[in-house]
Amino acid sequence: MWLVFRKELKELLRDRKTLFFMIALPILVFPLIFGVVAYFSGKAIEEAQNKVLRYSIIGQQHAPELAQRLSESGEFEWVEMASDTEPAQWVRQEKVDFVLVIPPNYSNDVLTAGQITLSVHLNDSSLNMVEKRLNEITTKIAERNQQDAFVRLGLDASQSKAMLKPIVVEKIDVADQRENWGEKIGGLVPYLVFILCLQGAMIPATDLGAGEKERGTLETLLISPIERYKLVLGKFITIAFAGVTSAMITVSSMAIWGIVLSQGMAIELVAKFMSAISAVDFILMFLMLIPVVAIFASVLLSLSIYARSFKEAQGYMTPLVLVVVVPVILAMLPGMELKGGWAWVPLTNVALAIKELIKGTMDYVQLLAIFSSTVMIAGLFLGFCLYWFNREKVLFR
Amino acid sequence: MIKIAHLAKRFAVENPKKLSEQEKKDPRLKGRYFHSVKDVSFSCNQGQVLGLLGPNGAGKTTTLRMLSTALKPDHGEIAIQGVNVVEKPLVARQKIGFLSGSTGLYGRLTGRENITYFGQLHGMQADAIEQRIAYLADLLELHSFLDRRCESFSTGMKQRTAIARAVVHSPEVVILDEPTTGLDIMAAQTVHTFIRQLKEQGTPVIFSTHHLDEVSELCDQVTVIDAGVTRFNNSLSAFKALSPGSMHQAFLNTLQQGA
Repeated sequence: MWLVFRKELKELLRDRKTLFFMIALPILVFPLIFGVVAYFSGKAIEEAQNKVLRYSIIGQQHAPELAQRLSESGEFEWVEMASDTEPAQWVRQEKVDFVLVIPPNYSNDVLTAGQITLSVHLNDSSLNMVEKRLNEITTKIAERNQQDAFVRLGLDASQSKAMLKPIVVEKIDVADQRENWGEKIGGLVPYLVFILCLQGAMIPATDLGAGEKERGTLETLLISPIERYKLVLGKFITIAFAGVTSAMITVSSMAIWGIVLSQGMAIELVAKFMSAISAVDFILMFLMLIPVVAIFASVLLSLSIYARSFKEAQGYMTPLVLVVVVPVILAMLPGMELKGGWAWVPLTNVALAIKELIKGTMDYVQLLAIFSSTVMIAGLFLGFCLYWFNREKVLFR
Repeated sequence: MIKIAHLAKRFAVENPKKLSEQEKKDPRLKGRYFHSVKDVSFSCNQGQVLGLLGPNGAGKTTTLRMLSTALKPDHGEIAIQGVNVVEKPLVARQKIGFLSGSTGLYGRLTGRENITYFGQLHGMQADAIEQRIAYLADLLELHSFLDRRCESFSTGMKQRTAIARAVVHSPEVVILDEPTTGLDIMAAQTVHTFIRQLKEQGTPVIFSTHHLDEVSELCDQVTVIDAGVTRFNNSLSAFKALSPGSMHQAFLNTLQQGA
């Protein structure tokens, strides 16, 4: 068995294509994607922040103070508006970034004028700072007017405060940082790991089953005096090993590059979050993964040995990704918990258990049940794989 | 000594509608089963070379696969040096060296690693494998490419390596399924030389072929199979005597006898 494993592994390590997909791709491509996204989004935000906004005002005479503040701030540039155009059209023609319309009832006296509505015509579909910058200026004026009104009404500080917000609802979160974050990203981890395991196992699985058939090495292997189960187990372990390895490489590459790229505040958060999860939980997560990978490996090997060629094997394996994705996505949905029927759905229960482990709210007794049921399923699939390898109909198609 | 008696093998037909017209006419198709081999018997003594002849689809490959334990026969007996192959396939496999024209090598392993792997599968010790490879490399002139990866080999190099791999465990019987099909003249010659060497050593060889000149050059015994039944099983001289001067005519005669 180990003889078969060693040989298959040696052959796998010499395959540049497989190695590229298993190791180079996750190490290089993920940081590249991270980098490109971070670079361009950063650049877009910076551009929006530094841009001087052009504007026109209608009804400037009603609010000279506001108009003056706008022109003095340095973040805006006033543009004379053609008298016969509509504000919307003016914006659409890209003459200005926004048109501010001040109503005739504009006044600093809140008590007599009532609420005042300023309209801003702008194209809000793209990233812009119009509202943010306008609010900075209008809020200052509004707050001052508010205070004026309070003073004239003869209200003291605490009365004004109560007036502004008569009832305040205060939220006291009993969930700690870990549970909070665990719920948010806990579903994503099993999803990524499952898919990566499956993908990583797929290429070697194709090679070890259909590949042997296509190259004409299978017949010789079958008539060598090695027990059939040893042959299957050797291949099975190779595929499972490849799946786990490629998943681990990808995850650690993402973790390392993620930390490198998100230096500063984020790193503290990540480090705090990670340290909250105990080593035992990590080991438990890894243990949960083993029977899952075993299921993948035995199914992949069964499909691969049934196929006549590489192409056929790939055709059988592609739908498998979908079959795996659906139960795991179910576990990602917010509000999904390891309760009732969901504890019995294969793959979903493991994904939910990993999520619970990350959140730190795992019921460890349930873990045992999930683990043993998944082991049982894996055993069944492996048993089927062994039976499959003894079928002449499968081997000589 | 290899003895095969009344071998039979049928395959389940998954979708009878998919068969071609010709396949439907084949008398071996009965209901949901295709009786690929119905009654094949022959024997081969120590130091003899047996040539297995027959048209395409006659059941040659199925017969040889049963002989090499890859397939399990439904009826009949196979005995290699007194070992019942059907009952003890693992023991029998130790005694068999098998090679077919379509046999491949692991491309990413070197020639030496390919041979070593099969030596290990046969339970050989490392130093025994090393000695055996050294011997076979001399015999088959493998030295110049033994430590290169197989994917870069020419057809002839591949075939010589495949031969070395098939006999690394010093088998007591060698079975070759169309070993020269698809090979160029030089590579085919390598196979012929190898068969002669085995014969000199007293190892019985059974091989199937479509080349009658190979038969007349190498064989002591001739067996003709058609439609899953043995049509002829005798010495080469008896086969030639069927139609003096033309081996092809002799072959056709054996087929007509059965029809």
